Amino acid sequence: MKITIKKNDLLPVLAKVQGLTGRKTNLAITTNLLIKTTDSGISISATDLETGFEGVYPADVESQGSIAINSRKFYEIVRDFPSQEISLNEIENHWIEIGNEHVEYHIVGMNPDDFPEIPKIEEVEFFEIESNVLSKMIEKVVIVSGATDDKRAHIMGIYAERIIKDKQKIFRLVSTDGSRLSKVDCIYDKNYRLPEGPGVIIPKKGLVEVNKFLDAEGPVQVGFKDNSLIIIKDGETIIIRLLEGSFPEYTDIIVKSKKNNIYLDRQLFLMMLKRMSILSSEDYKGVIFNFTEDKLVITSTNPDIGESKEDMVIEFRGEPITVMFNPRFFIDTLNVLDDEKVLINIVNEEKPCLIEGEKDKTYLSVIMPMRI
Amino acid sequence: MILHIDMDAFYASVEQLDNPWLRGKCVIVGGTSNRGVVSAASYEARKFGVHSAMPIFQAKQKCSKGIFVPPRMERYKEISKKIMALLGEFTPLVEVVSIDEAYLDISASTLLHGDPEDIAMHIKRKIKESVNLTCSIGVAPIKFLAKIASDMNKPNGLTVILADDVPRFIDALPIQKVPGVGKKTFRQLQLMGINVLGDINKFPENTLLERLGKFGKRLQELAAGNDRSRVAPDSRHKSVSSERTLGEDTRDKPLLKRYLLKQAEEVAWHLRKSGCRARTITLKLKHADFRQVTRSITIATPTQSSKKIYRHAASLLDDYKPLKKIRLIGVGVSGLISREVPVQMDLFERRSEKDNGWTKVDQTMENITKKFGRDAIKRATFGDE
Repeated sequence: MKITIKKNDLLPVLAKVQGLTGRKTNLAITTNLLIKTTDSGISISATDLETGFEGVYPADVESQGSIAINSRKFYEIVRDFPSQEISLNEIENHWIEIGNEHVEYHIVGMNPDDFPEIPKIEEVEFFEIESNVLSKMIEKVVIVSGATDDKRAHIMGIYAERIIKDKQKIFRLVSTDGSRLSKVDCIYDKNYRLPEGPGVIIPKKGLVEVNKFLDAEGPVQVGFKDNSLIIIKDGETIIIRLLEGSFPEYTDIIVKSKKNNIYLDRQLFLMMLKRMSILSSEDYKGVIFNFTEDKLVITSTNPDIGESKEDMVIEFRGEPITVMFNPRFFIDTLNVLDDEKVLINIVNEEKPCLIEGEKDKTYLSVIMPMRI
Repeated sequence: MILHIDMDAFYASVEQLDNPWLRGKCVIVGGTSNRGVVSAASYEARKFGVHSAMPIFQAKQKCSKGIFVPPRMERYKEISKKIMALLGEFTPLVEVVSIDEAYLDISASTLLHGDPEDIAMHIKRKIKESVNLTCSIGVAPIKFLAKIASDMNKPNGLTVILADDVPRFIDALPIQKVPGVGKKTFRQLQLMGINVLGDINKFPENTLLERLGKFGKRLQELAAGNDRSRVAPDSRHKSVSSERTLGEDTRDKPLLKRYLLKQAEEVAWHLRKSGCRARTITLKLKHADFRQVTRSITIATPTQSSKKIYRHAASLLDDYKPLKKIRLIGVGVSGLISREVPVQMDLFERRSEKDNGWTKVDQTMENITKKFGRDAIKRATFGDE
């Protein structure tokens, strides 16, 4: 294989695949990229055996072939390469020569035949979503993640479902860590052909990688088939193997109280919670929310450190409620909400609290209290 | 001054105390089958090279005259309680390390009870009078030296290291005697030419950190005669576990899970008794070739429920693919926090798990056990044992 490629064409993709090739797997070759010549340029593939990536890029192909090269080192070489044109030349025994007239690297490659095959999935029924919309959806659900050694599918993954109703169609992502839940919708017109299908669980890690590939604008194609999620954008394809398992029935935990709708200024509430979480520690994560007439008092007590207290004027007319929450959970949610005012809905000290934007109803956060 | 009190061959001595026929004989306390390990050996048996943690079959080879008796933990605990209560009369600063070992900080007690050596003599006499057993006591200005001192004149010994003697003692202290120096570290230290604790002073801090990590720093402090650890009374349990060597090596996962259920129940019982919840659950397996592995999981909501502990341990077992048969299985919990500490509630628990039934069962079993003893009630799965 002998090709010449432009640094500008290569660098963005090399930056984006580092997350995938940097992950430890039980195959050494997954730290490599597979580069193959095509009719009009090259294709670059990367995989962590769960998430696979493939993209095609323009290049001058002098002779056909394929190489497998260490992703990290290749990225560093290209990033600091002094000229636009970079030539790649495979010499014998998987040695790769990279350079121009002044610079020359000889890099030990691996056998490209050993590179794990990234499944080709055909006849997928795709639906379209704007890059920035999908990106924001992902940001809103990946804030909720469980302990790293909790291997249950519904904790490791994000539930994706398509809901077809009379008036509208919804593509929804839901995530939970067992104590809280984040739900975000992308709403389609009833006339849009949103392909039907069962709910699936997508690994969170894979979705975090997807987010790196999403640009500020432009549509992406999303489809589910053969136990995989397929996302296509401008000649780049990501395939994520879905998790096996079931997602808990979550709709009946979303119980709204008729009375206790409380509107709060997002920024002020966020700052208050940040101050109140200063005293929290591994053992004492909770702070107490005291809702009384037109007043919210938050107190935090940590026997090892001390106490703090802050109040805020709110509009509240219900029975007083005393409830303990992990303020971190609220902070995570308030950070991804866009509206200036947020609506919290609280039932009592044992039922989950609901948080959403004042206007934007596509995102809902559900937070379970702590037992005092 | 710190006192370290260590009962002499505790389990074996209690057996000899309760059964005069065993006195002066090689008593080895441990599992009675060939498959267990020695829990304690009387000094008579130690002469033959028998020591605790040695496999029983090996102890039998070394000491053909050995009399093997099964452990009676309840009895040992009963006596231990008496001893610890007695120690509490000298100072409230008693740190109970294990069933037969404790540290006392008597710095503030000397006016009342005399100088450290007198107090140590007094304690030895009291223990002898009260439970008719002997102990060895080490007296030193710092904790780790007190522990080393108690081991220097066993059995029935008393060793005092005075503050003025500390530097000389440290300079000559064989490095393998320092708590925390195991086989591997010992080899590493020998390679560095460190044979006594005093040799540590020849190395700069950087080198020690580089070669030995955090432990290097600790050794440097010890070598300088600094031991920052204090006598910590009422030190809560850091972990609770239950394990068992099986009657026969097996790969039978359903059978192994039945052991886990029983062990989870025992661990949960201890947790409830001490008012704790656990954050981490660990499965321990020993293979037929004695190779040991542990697998653990940290859960979001700390628990004291036998069902949860069982469920997590069983799922760790499900995920583990043993290459050899299993000879020992156990479950342990750590990351203990007080029941008083607020706990995050689970979003889905109430509907999906029906845990309440189990909590009730746990509590009822506990009440029955309290009234009628440990064997009065058991889970049905174990009826056939």
